[in-house]
Amino acid sequence: MGVRYIASRFVTAGVTIGLIVVLNFVLFRMMPGSPERLLLGRMPGVSANVLETTRERWGLDKPLFPDQFVAYVSSTLQGDLGFSYAARGRPVTDVIAQRIGPTVLLFGLGEVVAIFLGLALGAWSGWKRGGLIDHVGNGVSLILYSTPYFLLGMGLMIVFATGLGWFPTYGMRDVGRVYPGQLEELIDMARHLALPLATVSLGLIGQYAIVMRSSIVETLSEDYITTARAKGLNDGRVLRSHALPNAMLPTVTLIAINLGYVVAGAITVEVVFNWPGLGTLTVDALASRDYPVLQGVFLLLSVAVVLANLLADLAYGLLDPRVRR
Amino acid sequence: MTAPAVPVGAGVVAARPPGGVISVVGRLVRRPNGFIGFAILAIFSFLAAVPDLLVGPLQTAVTATGPRLAPPSEAYPFGTDQLGRSMLNLTVHATRISMVIGLLATVITVGVGAVLGIVSGYVGGRLDAVAMRIADFFLVLPTFVLAIILTGIIREVIGTGSREIFGIRLSLLVIVVVIGITSWSATARIIRAQTLSLRERAFVDRARVIGASGGHIMGRHILPNVMNLIVANAVLTFAGAILTETTLSFIGLGDPFQPSWGQLLEAARSVGAPGLGAWWYFVPAGASVVLVVFAFTLVGAALDSVLNPKLATRR
Repeated sequence: MGVRYIASRFVTAGVTIGLIVVLNFVLFRMMPGSPERLLLGRMPGVSANVLETTRERWGLDKPLFPDQFVAYVSSTLQGDLGFSYAARGRPVTDVIAQRIGPTVLLFGLGEVVAIFLGLALGAWSGWKRGGLIDHVGNGVSLILYSTPYFLLGMGLMIVFATGLGWFPTYGMRDVGRVYPGQLEELIDMARHLALPLATVSLGLIGQYAIVMRSSIVETLSEDYITTARAKGLNDGRVLRSHALPNAMLPTVTLIAINLGYVVAGAITVEVVFNWPGLGTLTVDALASRDYPVLQGVFLLLSVAVVLANLLADLAYGLLDPRVRR
Repeated sequence: MTAPAVPVGAGVVAARPPGGVISVVGRLVRRPNGFIGFAILAIFSFLAAVPDLLVGPLQTAVTATGPRLAPPSEAYPFGTDQLGRSMLNLTVHATRISMVIGLLATVITVGVGAVLGIVSGYVGGRLDAVAMRIADFFLVLPTFVLAIILTGIIREVIGTGSREIFGIRLSLLVIVVVIGITSWSATARIIRAQTLSLRERAFVDRARVIGASGGHIMGRHILPNVMNLIVANAVLTFAGAILTETTLSFIGLGDPFQPSWGQLLEAARSVGAPGLGAWWYFVPAGASVVLVVFAFTLVGAALDSVLNPKLATRR
């Protein structure tokens, strides 16, 4: 892979992250009411003197640009994202750090399951184009694709939690339960994880299957597939060594590009199951107008998506020798 | 005088697909997926057009008459909510809100995307570079989180209250604008790519040679030739807009006074309908969202195969 290709990807990602930081600053400074009024104005009997001192202490008496902007960028770079309004002044980084684990667990596992099942389903229905699997699989994929994640979640919950009682409906652990050992705790968490995980996987499988199917269909019309068949290779060989590796390429990028949209699903699934991750944090912060936390979540998620895209670009460069600009 | 071998303006005609809008729709409806898609959309458009005639005015906490959170019965075919309002009444009225928001958001998204795409592609140069940089930025961003934040901030800035424009509450118009801001970039990219190739075509050169202005060329020569693409893109954008609105409303950014499908789903969740086994609270609105988005996807696929016949034979 060429150095120029790698360098250009890194520069693009860097510029994008820079723009995100600027956007984050601009957006939240558009808000009416200055920060000290938002915070202290809620308390009765705050004197003008106190407000003035606070303004000075927070540097709000200085101009937005360059002083406040420089201060914002430098503290952001140092990992200081300010303080949460709702969590009584705890640092935003603390509040967010607590919620990352559950989200990564839920969506990491969901992505893995969906990539395996979705790509397999897509490859199979594309390979047997026009067959029963193709028709059923395509229909199911399209319907799953049209269904918002949270709706899937509500459906699964009413059937498997409320109706059949197999799984709990709420949270990550039983509230207030004391576990005799780690194993019991793990089992209980797995039971809580089952339905949200199924929701995420089902939501993603539809998209991945559709992408993989059209990619396989596209690949199968290529000349080298005809050549492979003409050489007398059996179906399995043609699929495994010729069609699949080439059809996988566009899906790698699409999965990465999709991450931005997966975030939307992430937020709503967590809300349905009260999963204590970044999604519920976002919605709670929105409801309590906890803008520093919203700002932090936006920064974290955007940077994560940009980095994922960067990784996908690099992976693409590795997988496809033609990409060596 | 004999007729010229190549009629004047042949380039223009050849660049357009055979047949006009009516023939395209005709061919769409003759495909099974196009027909099913159109039929579903026709039904929901009808519900959205005359909700009052079908189920009476929108019920409120005051005018609700039914039992609380009751399952479907003869009097209330879709059951009732926790205030005793008929779910049938609410769902039909929500159809209008969801479809109108989706339509307006689509018009803004595709309008902005098409204008930027055509101008950017035709004019080129620095304008093109800057516009496409911004488009790429929006394509990478998790736009849904941006939409959440923008909705919150814009509402704080303009203050929403109970003001209405054209009978739509301001808080919902904010959502329309936010969907437009966060989703124009894909359209702009697609239209620009097509414009780039059209710019090099002979009929554009001819127009330029006889002294047509840039605005004239873009409006009269480029636009008609990207119209197909714009329509195909609008169909998919509409589906996306409905999904985005539903999701934004679901996380609490809807307007309870003008409930959309997403707002009803939010109400179902906050009442705890799935945990109470009250499936009728969210199944009608949920099924509506899925059906409409599914229908748009079907029409989009049918449109794709009508406009690109080469693709159709391969699939």
